Amino acid sequence: MKKMKFAKIIFIIFALFPFYLSAETAEEQGLRIAKASYENGRGFTDMVSDQLMILIDPKGNEVTREVSGKTLENLDPNDGDKSLTYFKTPKDVEGTVMLSHTHISDDDDQWLYLPALGRVKRISSSNKSGAFMGSEVAFEDFSGTDYRKYEWKFLGEEMENNETFYKLESYPNYENSGYSKRISLIDNLNRTYKVDFYDRKGELLKTLYLEDYVLYKDKIWMANTLKVENIQNKNITIFKWLNRELDVGINKKDFEKSSILRLAD
Amino acid sequence: MLKKYIISFLFVFLQYLVASQNAAAIDYKAYGFIQPEITTFFNGDGRHDQSNSNQSIFVKGTFITYLNNGDQKITINTTGRIDEKDSERSYIDFQKFKYEQYFDDITLKIGNELIFWGVNESFNIVDIINQSNLAEDISGTKKFGQPMISLNYNHSYGNFDLFIMPFFKERIFPGRNGRPRLALEVDKSTVAYESSLKKNKIDAAVRYSTVYDDYDIGIAHFYGNNRSPELNVNPLSQKLDAYYPILSQTSLDIQSTKGAWLYKLETLTAKNGEERHFGIAGGTEYTIYGLRETTSDLGIIVEYTFDDRNDFAFNNEGVLALRWTKNDIKSTSLLAGLVADMSGSSNRFFAEFEQRIRDDLKVFIDMSINGEIDADDFTYTFEEDSQLTLKIAKYF
Repeated sequence: MKKMKFAKIIFIIFALFPFYLSAETAEEQGLRIAKASYENGRGFTDMVSDQLMILIDPKGNEVTREVSGKTLENLDPNDGDKSLTYFKTPKDVEGTVMLSHTHISDDDDQWLYLPALGRVKRISSSNKSGAFMGSEVAFEDFSGTDYRKYEWKFLGEEMENNETFYKLESYPNYENSGYSKRISLIDNLNRTYKVDFYDRKGELLKTLYLEDYVLYKDKIWMANTLKVENIQNKNITIFKWLNRELDVGINKKDFEKSSILRLAD
Repeated sequence: MLKKYIISFLFVFLQYLVASQNAAAIDYKAYGFIQPEITTFFNGDGRHDQSNSNQSIFVKGTFITYLNNGDQKITINTTGRIDEKDSERSYIDFQKFKYEQYFDDITLKIGNELIFWGVNESFNIVDIINQSNLAEDISGTKKFGQPMISLNYNHSYGNFDLFIMPFFKERIFPGRNGRPRLALEVDKSTVAYESSLKKNKIDAAVRYSTVYDDYDIGIAHFYGNNRSPELNVNPLSQKLDAYYPILSQTSLDIQSTKGAWLYKLETLTAKNGEERHFGIAGGTEYTIYGLRETTSDLGIIVEYTFDDRNDFAFNNEGVLALRWTKNDIKSTSLLAGLVADMSGSSNRFFAEFEQRIRDDLKVFIDMSINGEIDADDFTYTFEEDSQLTLKIAKYF
C-alpha cells in the first residue's frame, strides 16, 4: 500500500514535469530566444567590410556616405567587441578614424582622430541616442546588439509575409537610451527580421528591417542590408555591408589607441 | 643645404619603394581641398595702418600609400597659403612627409611629422614638438612639420616614444601688413640662440602614454631649442630681437572620461634658459545630448591656464565656450565663447560656424571681437582687429 502511494507520487511528478518545462515565464522565454539570436552572429573572430550608408529624405533626395571598418570579436563573453571605422565620404571627413571598445554594462571607450585637428581625442560615449553621421541610425543601434543590454519578454508568435515569427519586447537596461522599448520579430532560424523602436514618450519612432542575410562559415547569419524608416520624420537610412569577410586574422593591437595613427593621415 | 640633400634622398628612396611594388597593386589615397577666404575688419584700418580687408587662399593635399601588405606607409600632407596682404602668411609646408616601417610592436618613422600632445580644447601648454606659424593663426595652433626620426614601442604597459629632431625651424610671425600683428616687427637678421649649435642643435623628446580605464595619460620630456623665443625690443632698430633658449620641459597630461563629463589637465615644469617655470591648464567639458528632445548636442567647455612667469602672455586666462552640434546631414556646428584675462580687463569673444552646403563644399564663418584691452597687455596691439572671416572649402 505504501509502495503504491510512492509510485503514485512518482507518477504524478513525472506527469507534471512537462508542465514545469512549459512553465518558462514570458521573460525567460524572451531571454532564451534573444540569446540564441545573438549567439547566431557570434564566432566570427574578426571581420572587415566596406559600408555604404544611403540617407533619403521625405522628398526623395539621396546622399551616400562611405566608411570601411574592422571588428574584433571579444572572446571574453563578459566584455564587448572592438571596432575601427574609417570614414571616406563626405569628402570633408575623409581620413576620420573612430576606435570603439564596447562593454556590456559600462559605457564604451571611444577615440576619434580628426584630420582637421590632427589629434586623437577620447570622446564621451554616453551619447547613446545620438544620430550616426546625420542618419536615422543611433549610436546605441550599433553598440547595443548584445542581448544582455536589455530586459526581454516573449509576446507570442506573429504571422507576417506568410512566415511565423517570435515576437519579443525589450527594454534597454543602460542609461541615456532614446528608446522606451523595442519590439522585434525573429524567425525560426533565430534571425531578427524587423525591429520597431519606441521613443521615450512611448510612441513609435522608427522601424528597422534586416535584409540580405548571408550564411558565413556555415554557421553565422549576418544581414548585409539594414533599412531604417523613421515614422516621425519620414527619413530613411539604408546601411549596406559590401565585401564582408570574416576570420581574416587581424592583429589585436590594431584595435589599440596608439594604432589609430597607423590609419590616420 | 644638408636638409635639401636629405629631402632629395627621401624622394629617391620613396620612388624606389613605390617602383619596387607591383604597379597594379599600389593602393593609395589622395585627397585635399582648396579654400578661398575673405576677411573684413570692423574697426577700419588697424592700429598699424593695416588694411580693413584681406583675401587669402588656403590649400591642403594628402597622399597616403601602404606598401608590402601594409608594413610600410608613406604619408605626404602639404599645406600652403597665398595671402593678399601679408607675405609672411604666404607659405608652403610639408606638414607630413614621412616614411613609416611597422614591425610587430615597433614603429620606425623618418621624415616630417606633426605630433600633438595634450588634452585641452584651448590651452595646449604641453604641446611642444612642432613650431607654430603665428602668421597663419596668431593663437599658435597652426604648426609646421618637424623633421624627425622617431621610434614607438607598443608594450602592454603602454606606449614609449622617442623623437630625435634635427633642423630647428624658427617661429613665423605676422609681417608688417599682417592683421593681427605684433606692435613691432620681428627682426629675422638678429636671431640668437642659447645653444652654440644654434638651429643645428638636434632636439630630443621621450613620451610614455597609456590608457587606464577612464584615464588617458601622457608623461613626456623634451630637451632642445624652445619653439617659443624671447622677444626683446632693440632700441636701435626698433624691431624685436628673437632669442631661443634651451628648454628642458617635463610634462603630464591626463584626461578622465566619465560619461558626459570630460576632465582635462595639462601641467609642466620647465627650465627655460636659466630660469625654471611651472604651468598648469585644465578644465571640463560637459555635453548635453539630445538637447530638448532634438538631435542636437550642446557642449559646455570651461578651461583655465596658469603660468608662474609674470611676463608670460597667458599666465592667468580662462575660457568659457559652448559647442552646439546639430548632428544633421550638413554637419552644422557652432562654437562660441569668451576668452578672458583673469588678472586684467582684456577679453575676446569668438564664434566659429560651419556647415556642409554640398557633398564637396563646406562653408566656415569665423568671428572674433576684442573687448577693451589694457594698454600694458601684450594683446593691446590686437584691440582693433575684430574681424569676420568667410571661408569656403572645395574638397577633391
